[in-house]
Amino acid sequence: MFEFLNPLLFGGLAAVAAPVIIHLLHRRKVKQVDWGAMRFLAELIAQQRRRLFLEEMLLLLVRALLVTCLALAMVRPAFHRRNGEVDGQAMVRQGRVAAVLLVDDSVSSAVGRAQPSLETMKKLGAAYLDSLMPGDEVSVLALSQLGNTPGDPVFDLEAAKSALNQLKPGFVATDIPALLDGALEQLKRHVNPGAELVVLTDGRKEGWQETDRGRWEELRTRLRGPKSAAPGSRQRPRVMVLAPECGPIEDNLAIIALGTDRTVVSARQSVDMHITVANYGLSASREATVQLSVNGRIIGSKTVQVASGARQEVVIRHTFPEPGSYGLEAALVNHHDLLAADDHRAMSLQVEPALAVLLVEDGQAQGLNSKLGFLAHALEPEPDHSGAFRVTRVPVTQFLPSMLPLYRVVVLGDLRLLDATMVDALERFVVGGGGVLVGLGPGTNPGFINRYWARGGEGFLPCPLGPVVTLSKPALPAAVYLGHPVFNGFDAKMDEAWKGAKVTTYFKLDTARIRAADLDVLLKLDNGDPLVVQRRRGLGVVTLVGSSLNTDWTDLPLQAVYVPLLRGVVGHLGSFIFPPRNLLPGERIIYARVSTPVASMQGEDNRGQPLNLTLGAWEGRDAILSEPLMEPGLYQLHYPREAQPIHYAVALAPAESALQPIKDREITQAFDGAVSLFHSPEQVATSLDPARRQSTELWKGLLAGAIGLMFVEGWLTRREARATS
Amino acid sequence: MNLFETVQQEVIERVGNLSLTARRAVESILAGQHRSVRRGLSVEFAGHREYQPGDDLRHLDWLVYARSDRFDVRQYEEETKLRATLVLDTSGSMGYSSGTQTKLAFGLSLTAALGFLMIRQSDSVGLVTCDTGIRHFIPPGSTMPHLLHVLGALEQARPGGETSLAPVLAEIAGRLTRRGLVMLISDGFDDPAALLTSIQYLLHRKQEVRIFQVLDPLERTFPFKGMIEFIGLENEPRLKLDGDRVREHYRRVFANHQERLRSGCHACGVQLETCWTNEDLAGVLVRALTV
Repeated sequence: MFEFLNPLLFGGLAAVAAPVIIHLLHRRKVKQVDWGAMRFLAELIAQQRRRLFLEEMLLLLVRALLVTCLALAMVRPAFHRRNGEVDGQAMVRQGRVAAVLLVDDSVSSAVGRAQPSLETMKKLGAAYLDSLMPGDEVSVLALSQLGNTPGDPVFDLEAAKSALNQLKPGFVATDIPALLDGALEQLKRHVNPGAELVVLTDGRKEGWQETDRGRWEELRTRLRGPKSAAPGSRQRPRVMVLAPECGPIEDNLAIIALGTDRTVVSARQSVDMHITVANYGLSASREATVQLSVNGRIIGSKTVQVASGARQEVVIRHTFPEPGSYGLEAALVNHHDLLAADDHRAMSLQVEPALAVLLVEDGQAQGLNSKLGFLAHALEPEPDHSGAFRVTRVPVTQFLPSMLPLYRVVVLGDLRLLDATMVDALERFVVGGGGVLVGLGPGTNPGFINRYWARGGEGFLPCPLGPVVTLSKPALPAAVYLGHPVFNGFDAKMDEAWKGAKVTTYFKLDTARIRAADLDVLLKLDNGDPLVVQRRRGLGVVTLVGSSLNTDWTDLPLQAVYVPLLRGVVGHLGSFIFPPRNLLPGERIIYARVSTPVASMQGEDNRGQPLNLTLGAWEGRDAILSEPLMEPGLYQLHYPREAQPIHYAVALAPAESALQPIKDREITQAFDGAVSLFHSPEQVATSLDPARRQSTELWKGLLAGAIGLMFVEGWLTRREARATS
Repeated sequence: MNLFETVQQEVIERVGNLSLTARRAVESILAGQHRSVRRGLSVEFAGHREYQPGDDLRHLDWLVYARSDRFDVRQYEEETKLRATLVLDTSGSMGYSSGTQTKLAFGLSLTAALGFLMIRQSDSVGLVTCDTGIRHFIPPGSTMPHLLHVLGALEQARPGGETSLAPVLAEIAGRLTRRGLVMLISDGFDDPAALLTSIQYLLHRKQEVRIFQVLDPLERTFPFKGMIEFIGLENEPRLKLDGDRVREHYRRVFANHQERLRSGCHACGVQLETCWTNEDLAGVLVRALTV
């Protein structure tokens, strides 16, 4: 079968039309002449017409063929034999090979008894490179370099080996589908007809993303190519996985989470810091000390001993004296295991003076009996602004777009109408990172809201409103999104907290029409209808409560659970800091304060060394960007007008600590059987060394044909020129 | 300026005393300078005419010279007059022109000049204009009014119709019963074989034949470039051809036609004079009549 290696140049075939078009244009430019000696022309036509026509057509054909040959040569057709599969022990290759080596240099590649598994992977890679021949081209693509512009493919196999040997274990999380995605893109830069994607992995299960079936199905479709594609060709690259044998890890204790008990942390209020330690080893861990430091100062430590496969949470209480940015770091001290990178975890925390919340409602916006009176008291029991929330209440008539930049969260309480300008301003507020809580009630006009706020799921509201449901027997909140940050303030007996709450009337929230993956149902009624839903819109979040936020339709405000629930919701809505300060390895620090010149900013990495900062863009705004941060730890950004630096934290993906070995069967299933799996350099050498090549590129023949046709064309043209001279 | 004045001013004054003589003996009872085939006719004085170089000095009238100091030549009735018929092809192809004048215009001037020359030497001149058939037929006459009648007919001639010289010449041959001279002025764009057959028939009918072939220079060089749509002047179907590609073939066909015509005329003793429309008419006459 044929494959075209430069299919983008197929457009060049249009040039075939050029001689024909020139011929036709030439024929169209006809001059009329009155002529007396027609008898000679008639005689000439009778004698020569057929010959003249044939000569003309022959010349046209030769010119068209000449252009066709040149255009086809540029498209580079390659002829493959169909049976490009393994022939006995040896693999049959399709002509010269374009190989993309994908190196999983994730955190787990540093694990190993005698040496890191990355070294074993390098030996496998070297064995593969030894099986290639001069003329084959290679790209080495490391997981930690995926965000960067990949280098050009090289024909120098020694240079490829050298690039492979220079790799070191990184801190990024494994993402095999992302690697394969990158490889397929890189393959487009290769020119050889035979294509091989070689995955060098440490054999750990994390990062294969097997559960993401849609992504794998799409990958398999791309790797499979069209039905007519020959195995090992550019359209259907051969996939090989080179993975050293690995077993379960005997000893790995990891800090997999570090967080606070609330979404908004205020100064001078005690906060519980939660540190989760997991044991992925085969046996119970020895005693280890978990130590927490804030801005480099140790604030507490606790001893843990975790059973195999179990997790243990350590709580250390702390009070932040002043608002500002803090860098927290939890570490296992006096402890050594196979993976040191997950023995500490950093976190950036912004301590707020108080979260500014704007409550907008119909009427006077005062007192407990108004639409948002209960909420105002729940958020700010004392009106002295000493708590975590600083509440401002305004009637809807005084609600202006200019107020929005002053608040992190806006609550709309059972509004009958809202000016179109305000709807537009609210949408921009949410997209830019603000939080909005919407409460409904008897004053709500569902037609208006659906038309202007929801817009069939395209507006800022999480979902459209259905009909009003009034129950003769009140419904009870029945299920919650356990683990959601909204519920951090609840104690362990969360289920019991809802038992007294009754909802008699509510809007049925039409979540069925919204298929967005970012729509979360936080609370449902016992009849299955959603009561509180949340959806990310741009950088911000909007929470919609199907019932009232006062006692019009529910007695929830009279229950004890109301205060932690609403504080959790509002705190969560105001907890997002953009650009983010808690990062994954490979991400950059982004500082979007546009007025600050780059020269006046100073960055400091986790070793105290200065960071390179450049001017870039984020979400359409000017921003100061750092280089990608590869190592976990705390980073700082100093800016001149502020005394305190901003802390940024880079933390490992928790899944990398599990170090579960992946089975051969699972790898085979991932590629739907279309994969060759090797565990040792000897296997690679046996299967690939004597590999035969059986495809042919046809461009040389086409070029030779074009040259031949050029001679024929020249001869025909000269012959005609002689005849006309 | 009419045809007569044109010819008189541009041609006859320059041609001077050039005379048109028949190569063969003619049969006529009229006076002329041509050798007669009839013997024993009485010799009567017919009049004087001005001496022209080449005239036999024996015929010079010395008495007139003595009286009036003029050189006059005595003319006698026994000299037979030449009966010439000018056949002008007025077919469509004669209407072609690449420059200032058409082939027909050139032919008209040539015909008028020939007629004038012949009348001046007291010969009889007739005229036939033709295309597919005979359009005008004026029997020969030798007077000046007759010449004016001929010139009037020439001025009315317009190109049109297809070239069909062979049947026309055959018809003319039938009409001419006495010896004479037939001068054909045409482009000769006809089948050479048929044309030569008709000429042979004319010769058989005791007619001397001279052919003045009038051609346009472009009809020989065929300099057309690119795609040309040739529109025939004789209602032929139009032809769309690449001038560059057919030039050589055209020239070959044209040369072949000329060669056939020339060799055919040569074989039967007919003078073929090819004239080009960009040539000087007087030069053509000098070249043709001094051969």
